[in-house]
Amino acid sequence: MKIRKMAWRNLWRRKRRTYITALSIGFGVLLSVTFIGMADDSYTKMIDTSAVMGLGHVTVEPGGYNETPSLDKSLSDAAGMREAILKMEDVNDALIRIMGQAMIASANKSIGGAFMAIDPDRETGDLNLFIRSIVEGELFSGTAGQGVVIGSRVAKKLNLSIGKKLVYTTTDVKGEIVSEIARVTGVFETGVSEVDGSMILLPIDRVRAVLSYKPEEASLISVVIKDQRRSGRMREKIRSRIDNPDIEVLSWRETQADLASIITLDKAGNRVILILIGLLIAAGILNTLLMSVMERTREFGIMMALGMSPSTLFMLVIMESIWFAVLGLVLGTIITVPWYAFMYHHGIDFTGMIGSDYSASGVIIDPVMKIRLFRESALWILTGLFTLTVLSGIYPAWRAGRVPPVESLKEI
Amino acid sequence: MTNQAIVRLEDASKYYRQGKMDIRAVDGLSLEIHKGDFTALCGPSGSGKTTVLNLIGGLDFPTGGRVYLEGQDIGLLSRSRISAIRRDRIGFVFQAYNLIPVMTAYENAAFVLSLQGVSDRECRDRVMAILTEVGLEGLEHRRPDEMSGGQQQRVAIARAIVTQPAIVLADEPTANVDSANADSLLRLMERLNNESGITFLFSTHDQRVMDRAHRIIKLHDGKMESDEVFS
Repeated sequence: MKIRKMAWRNLWRRKRRTYITALSIGFGVLLSVTFIGMADDSYTKMIDTSAVMGLGHVTVEPGGYNETPSLDKSLSDAAGMREAILKMEDVNDALIRIMGQAMIASANKSIGGAFMAIDPDRETGDLNLFIRSIVEGELFSGTAGQGVVIGSRVAKKLNLSIGKKLVYTTTDVKGEIVSEIARVTGVFETGVSEVDGSMILLPIDRVRAVLSYKPEEASLISVVIKDQRRSGRMREKIRSRIDNPDIEVLSWRETQADLASIITLDKAGNRVILILIGLLIAAGILNTLLMSVMERTREFGIMMALGMSPSTLFMLVIMESIWFAVLGLVLGTIITVPWYAFMYHHGIDFTGMIGSDYSASGVIIDPVMKIRLFRESALWILTGLFTLTVLSGIYPAWRAGRVPPVESLKEI
Repeated sequence: MTNQAIVRLEDASKYYRQGKMDIRAVDGLSLEIHKGDFTALCGPSGSGKTTVLNLIGGLDFPTGGRVYLEGQDIGLLSRSRISAIRRDRIGFVFQAYNLIPVMTAYENAAFVLSLQGVSDRECRDRVMAILTEVGLEGLEHRRPDEMSGGQQQRVAIARAIVTQPAIVLADEPTANVDSANADSLLRLMERLNNESGITFLFSTHDQRVMDRAHRIIKLHDGKMESDEVFS
């Protein structure tokens, strides 16, 4: 009889124990999928949300802009670079923007804020959170290039509403103070109070004129890609395509360092939890296999008396642990799939607990916890649990291979 | 019986330490077992019968002296080499049958052949022939818990002889079966000895075994008390 067949039958000597052990592995699959899937989903949402708040997954900008953003630093041929980037695979869009600080004033009050100048013909709500979050009015409509869309808290602070005028003051490319009037065409509300209380959107052509920028000039190109996990690779591809030492190409990890730190910290915490889950599962499997080996000491003695080598006996027990792993992963998949389907489509809504405008590092966090597992994470879970289960079998297998036949044959 | 010695013990001893006392299970025993022998080791409990079988089978090692199997000093062999010798050259029949419970009669009988890496086809031919020979035709799919003690012991005999070993070591093979089955098993082993020339060495208290043995070695306190050969 082949070792794998014998190992499979050995598994069913004590059905209940086998099912309980396999279920513990299955439960490990469920927990791992939940933790890692929640992390995959929430990190992706945070990164994608952050990307559509201005800087994209990858940002092309003048050298030194990331450390000290300033309007006197600009890309002279932003349109040409955009065209080159758009031809690259996996790029969703490349958006030319001018971003800077400004004083925003209404008739009787002023506040410090920031502006993002966009091309209204090219930008839509899909890749621009502010446009997506317009709750009143619309984007720069019927204002001959002098429209402005303001955050809801800016509107409140400056007592502005649709149709009213504001003045924004900033410095131009030469460092001179410049001002311009704009009429409010829309109000957005992202849910992030610091953003809603300071940000305004302006049409890029008008801002270029105000800042004395040339027609193709801009602060940065915000590149939004199809899969945030490829942002590092995309940064390198764009870097080699542009090949200009005066231009920096940065991924969201560099432009959104706070967010990157939060994610890294959260991942480390998750890893600790997963290690603990793994250790608990491993202890259960080790216990089952060890008990199963101890119960069969006499039988192992007989097998060795009949000529089975210690290494074959070792392999027999390892094979049993492999079957445990296979069974556990199959059971795990069976119990996890419905849970995953529910969590993927519906999730658990924590709005009642944390509110709908919960944010971290200026990025909105979805209060509905969902699961989305990347293929590599699923593979990691399956490989990790399989390896853990098989490793748990090593000590019992070693014990089995060390059984002295003459002693074990005396056992009743 | 031929003159070729399959087993040779030279002044073999086996001492165990039990508390502060040395137990002399085998004490300076010298003997030879020849090809085709049908020999019984007998003696009271504690006389060293099973220990002698264990020493010959490489399941245990002598404290003193030498044990040779087909000319090889068992005490000088590695664990893996001894495993290979047990697999290829020795058949074991135990008092408590010791079949593997998750295997059928066929699979138990084929167990050692599968360790030897014999092809499935050859294995099937040989195992079915042996099962027929030991009277278990039609029962090959039964598991041990679906067979009587006598049938289980027949499977154990089939397992022991299917590899055509140099010697079959049978430790009290009739102790756990009723007298009808014991007679039947003994007739079977006697026939295998006569027709196939398989060498048997029994440890036994059973008079029926001694009545059929061609040679009886009596042990007492680990020493040989007598060695009688019957024609």
